[in-house]
Amino acid sequence: MKPHFQSMRGLRAVSLAALAATSLSVGTAAQAAPVTLTYSDWHLAEPVWNRSLREAFAEFERLNPDIKVNPEAVALGQRDVRYSTALRAGRGPDVFSLDVNPVKQFIQQGWVMDLSRFVEREGGGKWLADFYPRTLEVVGDGKRTYGIPKTLVPMVLYYNSNMLKEAGIAQPPRTWTEFRDDARKLTKASKPGGPIDQWGTTIVMAPAGFDLRFSVILRGFGGDMLTPDNKHSALNTPVAKEAFNFVLDMILVDKTMTPGISQVDAHGARQHLATRRVGMAFESAWAHPIIADLNPALDAWNVLKISPVPQKEGAKGGIRSTLHLKSLFINPKTANPEAAWKLVKFLTDPERMQRWYVDNNLLSARKSVNATFDRIQKNANARLMAQELEYAAFMPLIPEWPEINEAFRQNLQAAVAGTKSREQALGDAHSQIEAILARAAR
Amino acid sequence: MRAVAASGVTGETRTGYALVAPAFAMLVLVLGLPALSAVLQSFNLVMSRTPGFSLASYERLVTDPEFRQTIANTVVYVSGVVAIHLALGLSVALLLNADIRGKWFFRVVALLPWTVPDVIGGIIWRFMFDALPGMVNAVVIRGGLADAPVDWLGDPQLAFAALVLAEGWRGYPFIMLILLAGLQSIPRTLYEAAAMDGARAWQSFLYVTLPNLKNMFIIALVLDVIWECRLFGMVFGMTAGGPGNATQVLSVMTYRQYFEFFNTSYASAAAVVLAVFMLAISIPYLRMSMRVTA
Repeated sequence: MKPHFQSMRGLRAVSLAALAATSLSVGTAAQAAPVTLTYSDWHLAEPVWNRSLREAFAEFERLNPDIKVNPEAVALGQRDVRYSTALRAGRGPDVFSLDVNPVKQFIQQGWVMDLSRFVEREGGGKWLADFYPRTLEVVGDGKRTYGIPKTLVPMVLYYNSNMLKEAGIAQPPRTWTEFRDDARKLTKASKPGGPIDQWGTTIVMAPAGFDLRFSVILRGFGGDMLTPDNKHSALNTPVAKEAFNFVLDMILVDKTMTPGISQVDAHGARQHLATRRVGMAFESAWAHPIIADLNPALDAWNVLKISPVPQKEGAKGGIRSTLHLKSLFINPKTANPEAAWKLVKFLTDPERMQRWYVDNNLLSARKSVNATFDRIQKNANARLMAQELEYAAFMPLIPEWPEINEAFRQNLQAAVAGTKSREQALGDAHSQIEAILARAAR
Repeated sequence: MRAVAASGVTGETRTGYALVAPAFAMLVLVLGLPALSAVLQSFNLVMSRTPGFSLASYERLVTDPEFRQTIANTVVYVSGVVAIHLALGLSVALLLNADIRGKWFFRVVALLPWTVPDVIGGIIWRFMFDALPGMVNAVVIRGGLADAPVDWLGDPQLAFAALVLAEGWRGYPFIMLILLAGLQSIPRTLYEAAAMDGARAWQSFLYVTLPNLKNMFIIALVLDVIWECRLFGMVFGMTAGGPGNATQVLSVMTYRQYFEFFNTSYASAAAVVLAVFMLAISIPYLRMSMRVTA
């Protein structure tokens, strides 16, 4: 029996050694295998942003050799549907970016991770103190933080300085009356006797980006879509009516906005600017690099200039524009939350924020970067943008906002198309928004 | 002699059930469960922050003017598109059934629109009808038919007509194929007999072709109505339901309510209504297929 016993012991020893070796090799393999994070962003579809982001990922991977980033582009118009469908199914990218519009919906539905524990580890309120408090309202609920703000810019008036000069316009419009007059002067045939091929302005009427553009006109007139408490529609106010009619007059009476206005999306509006089809448009800082890329012959960096959103005669100060914020979020079902947080922290650190300005012309959601980065301080456009942050506000931060925005957009389109009278369209928008808010309150 | 169990079920029948079971299970999984989920959601029983039986979504459907307009749009859209499909499908099927050289080449060409995915078709047509710088306007302006760009997709009537035309083009090959198969199954002797009786071409068409195509026509009509009722990609890609909601059909409304506004119960109620409607119009087709099978 002894030999058998000895052989059993030997077998056990060999087995243990093999097990230990296997465990070690598995452990080593686990340490060596890099974590792959998927990062999704609509800006990856823009060549300028794509380049900039990929350079940042390369730097991140150099600093974190155990993490790989797999970038995934998504079309802006399809972004929210793609994310919500994937996240609902427990899938989707590990890290993704959103603008303000859907954030409250995503928080309400539990489609973004609560980042409070990571934030606490970095220093909590002290770490967050560098971000503009308004941006933290977007990504949090007062107690928890669900996203980290990245870039922050206000909407402004972009104008082609050459086209204004050619039309005999000495300076950009400061009031809505001047804006309308200038648009008339800019609307003409570029070739004598030819058809009209140049218009004063355009406005985005496709769903993605509509609220950013229309809201500046509404706010520039002193109105807003909702009451300050976000409980009721504010479309029954005289200023809202004035702004609504102003846009319709420019489209239908003056015909100083581009034909086919109902189909113009954010990219289309920038293409109109890039190809000199329009002389003015409401855009923000992202437009310069994108338009320069679309049409290098335009010399966009020198020819396109910016100016504050016009206001009513005599108006001083007050909210006249809308803020655009891009923030980063983590999928609550990610298998690699630590790695995902590392990426979010990296993409929103002060050094990267400076890079977003240099590459993409966007201001930072960090106060310190805008206040101290010399390239921002020395650039007149950037200084104007920073100054306009004071006169801009976010669209209402409520989950119902996308539906409210869409109800208004459809009625505006109906008024443009003539299927509803102006009064009926504005009245319908008002009552539909009231109904949406009432349903939400139940 | 077949082995008959006490229950009266033969072994062959059991084998049949066993063979059908995987397919049946798959159908339950991919069709039955989502359908059940939609019904439950429409009554606010699942996927809700405050679940509980409620008819609120159906009540809202009844009172919602947008839903009424969407139903009307769907009826007009489906009628227009199916009419074009039948007319164009029959015409092309008749041409391709004739004895012409290179028949196979023309058949492939005629089938091409059917190979275009509906979303891609919608985007292509949107670019073509774009006011600036769409191809249609370029032709219209250069041809002297207009001196300014026409806002094809910004005008409700023009947008609707453009949409019906585009989907008419994309979907007719399906009907053409069914009718062509029907035409080829008509015995030539019937035409020869008609010719001997002195029938002219149009009389042969009226008294031989059409009566023999009747069943195929009904099948094509019902299938196309069902198909077009649930078509989403072409409308969404081309007009997204605009301007306003002038071209919004039921599938687009359902999508937007569910995926854009997360009104899951309301969207599910609209989907259930659409499903019931399609089930109702499927009955003639089902009865006809069962008669043929019997």
